Amino acid sequence: MKCGDGIDARQVNELFINVDPIQAGGKLTGDAIKAIIAYGDGYSVCDNCRKPNRLDCIAKPPIAEFHKDVARWLNMDQARMMPGARRSFQAVTHTYVEKGDPVLLTSLSHYTEFLAIEVAHGTPYEIPADINHKITADAAAAKIEDVKKNSGKFPVLALIDHVDYQYGNLHDVAAIAKVAHQYDIPVLCNGAYTVGTMPVDGKALGVDFVVGSGHKSMASPAPSGVLATTEERAKDVFRTTSIVGDVTGRKFGIKEPEMMGCTLMGATLVGMMASFPHVKERVKHFDKELDNNRIVMEALLSIDGTSCLSEYPRKHTLTRVDTTNSFDRIAATHKKKGFYFSSALNDNGIFGIIPGATRIWKFNTYGMTQKQAQYLADAFVSVATENGLSINP
Amino acid sequence: MILRETAPLHELDEKQRAEAARLLENLERQVGSLKQEMLK
Repeated sequence: MKCGDGIDARQVNELFINVDPIQAGGKLTGDAIKAIIAYGDGYSVCDNCRKPNRLDCIAKPPIAEFHKDVARWLNMDQARMMPGARRSFQAVTHTYVEKGDPVLLTSLSHYTEFLAIEVAHGTPYEIPADINHKITADAAAAKIEDVKKNSGKFPVLALIDHVDYQYGNLHDVAAIAKVAHQYDIPVLCNGAYTVGTMPVDGKALGVDFVVGSGHKSMASPAPSGVLATTEERAKDVFRTTSIVGDVTGRKFGIKEPEMMGCTLMGATLVGMMASFPHVKERVKHFDKELDNNRIVMEALLSIDGTSCLSEYPRKHTLTRVDTTNSFDRIAATHKKKGFYFSSALNDNGIFGIIPGATRIWKFNTYGMTQKQAQYLADAFVSVATENGLSINP
Repeated sequence: MILRETAPLHELDEKQRAEAARLLENLERQVGSLKQEMLK
């Protein structure tokens, strides 16, 4: 089937078990797929836009209620839907960071957090991860003091990943936020891999902002995300416009400059809304996701020479493994070189491991059934034994 | 969604088979309605 000239219909998630680290939590629900078709037209959500003429205030479809629901769900006071987590970072840095201001992030931060600091003309300072690839409150405190000593200023903002994209490790955001707040540094929790996959409570974390990614972890179309905050910080980031046209004298009501007026619209927004009831339910069952991950990890670790680079036992389904002493040994002599591994997995109906990767690679078991987890586990062992690797009982 | 939950082998259990049958019956009914409406 074609969607257009040269555009094949994508069937990856129908034909394969998809373990791509960034795709697993963003697979759409059936309701989201229907919403995309129904609301694909450009300004589809604006049919019933009435005063005060701002997208997040629209009552039909229930966009206004959805925004309130999301804020409540994250235990924050206000939320806006955004075109991706990165635009949330940008809105926050643009609000708080001025030229040369130091901004705290971590040695495991996503590149878009750096770019958000760059566009605000700030200077990034990374809290180094410890030997276990974890960001600690002690390291945060040391870095804050270090920044003050070297730049003469305290950081004006801290961007801390709840679960990082490199190791999928769960960091103690609450403890880090406590330290940062002792220096009056507002804290943004980057929940790109947690909001929508596991329970997230902004007040319990003690953060000023919770950012989520719709397409990474909320079973939503791209680009989508959420920025949730407290009443206090909403006054800054969700401030309303005060600009006036010099010729026309025009004013623009309650539009929010950091949101560029209206927030996420159309199929992406309604896709998020359609998936939301399913997402709210699924985060309650994250323990089952970890059980599935355990099935796969135990199989992988039974392959002689394989080790887990992420914290273990796992606290998240995104996992980084080292197979330099197992699957990579085969690559040295295999006619397909390192591509044999992803090729064999593809032949077994598994998608998402970077082609050619046989040393250090990541996968994500989120969203699969137990049967699929067992199938995936068996497939890894099967590829290993077919290629002469030893399996430890 | 059944295809996603059962990839890659698509071995449906009894419950999934019943759900698939229900969905396909619905689809046939809808196609029937469209035929009636559009080709009358």
